[in-house]
Amino acid sequence: MQFSSSLLENAVNEFSKLPGIGKKTALRLVLHLLKQDVGRVQMFSDAVTTLRQQIKYCQRCFNIADANTCSICASPLRKQRMICVVENIRDVIAIEATQQYSGTYHVLGGIISPLDGVGPDQLNIEALVHRLQQEQTEELIFALNPNIQGDTTIYYIQKKTQHLPVKVTTIARGIAFGGELEYADEMTLGRSISNRLPVERLVK
Amino acid sequence: MQLQQLSIVQFKNYIQQRFEFTERITGICGKNGIGKTNLLDAVYYLGFTKSYFTKTDAANTHHGATGFRIEGVFEKEANTHKVVCILRETGKKEFYYNEQAYDKMAQHIGRFPAVFIAPDDVHIITEGSEERRRFMDALFSQLDSHYLQQLMEYNKVLQQKNSYLKLLAERSVSDYSLLDVYDAQLVKTGSSVYEKRNAYLQQLLPLAGTFYQQIAGVDEGLELAYQTSLHQYPMQQLLQQNRDKDIAAQRTTQGIHRDDIGMSFSGEVFKTTASQGQRKSLLFALKLAEFEMLKITKGFAPLLLLDDVFEKLDASRMHNLLQWVCVQNNGQVLITDTHKERLQQHLAALQKPFQLIEL
Ligand SMILES: Nc1ncnc2c1ncn2[C@@H]1O[C@H](COP(=O)(O)OP(=O)(O)OP(=O)(O)O)[C@@H](O)[C@H]1O
Ligand SMILES: [Mg+2]
Ligand SMILES: [Zn+2]
Repeated sequence: MQFSSSLLENAVNEFSKLPGIGKKTALRLVLHLLKQDVGRVQMFSDAVTTLRQQIKYCQRCFNIADANTCSICASPLRKQRMICVVENIRDVIAIEATQQYSGTYHVLGGIISPLDGVGPDQLNIEALVHRLQQEQTEELIFALNPNIQGDTTIYYIQKKTQHLPVKVTTIARGIAFGGELEYADEMTLGRSISNRLPVERLVK
Repeated sequence: MQLQQLSIVQFKNYIQQRFEFTERITGICGKNGIGKTNLLDAVYYLGFTKSYFTKTDAANTHHGATGFRIEGVFEKEANTHKVVCILRETGKKEFYYNEQAYDKMAQHIGRFPAVFIAPDDVHIITEGSEERRRFMDALFSQLDSHYLQQLMEYNKVLQQKNSYLKLLAERSVSDYSLLDVYDAQLVKTGSSVYEKRNAYLQQLLPLAGTFYQQIAGVDEGLELAYQTSLHQYPMQQLLQQNRDKDIAAQRTTQGIHRDDIGMSFSGEVFKTTASQGQRKSLLFALKLAEFEMLKITKGFAPLLLLDDVFEKLDASRMHNLLQWVCVQNNGQVLITDTHKERLQQHLAALQKPFQLIEL
């Protein structure tokens, strides 16, 4: 791509470094910004800069926060003795969007996968064990992706915390709601049958 | 089950061709490079949604063309079944069963099973244990889809554990909790794979032994056995007692990933002692045992695709083999050879109706 201005070229290059953005899309976004008032673009770039400069990670749960403690950890409305373990911040946002969960979180920052160079030490597991010891946690809920690495991570954390009086659960794995049995793959259907639910819990 | 018609468009060396199979036994002859093996492969493709030989569909498409089509009409249980495979120009593959498209290829595999025996398959006998595991895993996955799932899970955990063992060596960690977790995951899937291999091999190996003797015509003292360290120790104990050794080696030294089919010959190692004809006989014996197990599970005979059978076998073994394949067996057989007269002679000697296709 040839540019008549190096200012334009720099901006396009920066945008195209973002995930999922190619040169063409980057150019479209940059040209869009050029059509805006200077003040609006200033607000845009300020938002990005202050985000990066001032963002904090909650010292308790490693969620994104404005202060040392995130708004979920600080809220008196949340059950502080319930911890949902997730892989990353996107999972926190996804679970929050359901409005079905009223406990706190713990963001691991990844999943155990030595093949990808990630051992237990690179994750926030120590901190979680520490939390369970300090906070009189009653329930630990694992909301990790249902695959082998997810299972490994669950078993590992469970092993590290089994001496503590905490109830440990994992999110249900099974047929998607609104889905059809006929189209479910055998593994999912098989798991749903072996982990079946009492009917009264369906209506509750 | 009988394949009655086959039409091939732009698959390998074929541009467009139609074949009719009027008899249960078909001989296919023609000179080197004419397309005999490719014709058998097209039949295999219709059953398994992939080639017996090539890994990519690009290699299966006629050079210079885009996309291919294979269409077959089968007769099974007095009904006709039409199977169409289309590789679109975009590279997308579609399979149709009686004009109805499948969502997943897995739904088709197993409906029109075939057993392919190619000259190069002799590596199952001559090469390392990996080849024999691949052979049994491909068969047992067809008999039980849960087997494949457990095996894949085992292999994934094994890879992670082995990477972790390397990581441990670099960082000199002394907490082995994660190894315990991996071992527990390996025990779960590994024990299940072991039990299934044990049960299936108890059927497969005696069958193969009987076939070998039938082909050889005499008892040559062949012995086949499932070799695994799990016969001595359960998976859990095996991993536990190998812990230090595995940490030093930076990999899991024992487990179902090292299993083998032991082949011996009056006490000698078959691989190194047997002649080429004897190796080929054992290959046929194993493949026919596979055929029998599929037949028992499916309730009907799979198609037998015999490529270049006449190489290396002497006249008496050839006779014994064809006798079983064409006379005792009542399923459909496709046999290729480069020599028209030889093929014709052998088939005529069986005194069964047969068809000869000259390419
Ligand atoms: N994708 C392709 N496009 C065109 N031709 C191909 C393609 N793939 C293979 N061929 C050709 O097909 C021919 C090989 O066919 P095949 O292996 O079926 O021969 P054959 O009759 O079995 O020979 P032989 O008696 O030597 O075993 C070769 O000449 C090869 O070049
Ligand atoms: Mg050939
Ligand atoms: Zn927090």
